[in-house]
Amino acid sequence: MDSTVTSSPPKLRAVTSGFVLAAALTVVFNTLLACAKDSCAPLKNFMKSLTNHDWTTQGLVDLLLFAGLGFVLTRSRTTEQMNPTHVTGVLVVAVASAALGLALWYAMF
Amino acid sequence: MISSSDVILLAHASFGVTGCLAALWVFVETLSARPANAGRIQAAAVITALMMTLGWICGGYWYVHFYPPEKALILGGPWPFAHNFFMETKEHLSLAVAILALLLPITTRESLHANSAARSLVLAVSGLIVVTGLSVEAAGAIIDHGVKIALLHDALKGAHLWIPPSLQVHRN
Repeated sequence: MDSTVTSSPPKLRAVTSGFVLAAALTVVFNTLLACAKDSCAPLKNFMKSLTNHDWTTQGLVDLLLFAGLGFVLTRSRTTEQMNPTHVTGVLVVAVASAALGLALWYAMF
Repeated sequence: MISSSDVILLAHASFGVTGCLAALWVFVETLSARPANAGRIQAAAVITALMMTLGWICGGYWYVHFYPPEKALILGGPWPFAHNFFMETKEHLSLAVAILALLLPITTRESLHANSAARSLVLAVSGLIVVTGLSVEAAGAIIDHGVKIALLHDALKGAHLWIPPSLQVHRN
């Protein structure tokens, strides 16, 4: 199947690995922010004051963080040399931890 | 008469399910990635991102403008966990689904037929979208049922129900 590939191991483009790591960080940040705003009323009120709803602010912050981190990590090209399997693993672990973290938080909160 | 609230809510769920199906399409096509289906994979990834974004916008608008009365109903009914657990988890997990959906078109720009690592990545991203997206859909159904049960509970409280004689159970 990989007949067109040279002997070097397959790599991901800088933009791909950069945005994958940006997504992993954003998803974890999203869970931490959800927990933080629930346990810190001033933070929730501040987020509410920005867009009339804390959830709207959180969504916009997530979007900006994903785009910003994605561009920064892509331009820095530090992620380009990362093992692609590790990049995929980081994303899977981040999403699973974030989802489980949210479920546990709201089960106990 | 269908209200705008109902239209927005149904559009939200429909966009979400369509996004999950498009992500499943990406997953299946990627299993047998070759130059001939690269265009289809990229198109399906863009559809996933578009559907999930529209679902996010519709769901967000409905949540901010129409949900508060339903939240009050749920919290006063027999299933308060429909909000306290399912809605709270869903509203934050859906943001993660949207981020993954926006990531998918970027990952499908790789030469999937020639790069096994990129194939694994696309399978992981699309698989995560399907699993988390369907979990969010299921949570939506439970929230909806929480409202229904609260309304039924209110309607039946203190009400005298007429039961046809043929359905009555006679105890001796």
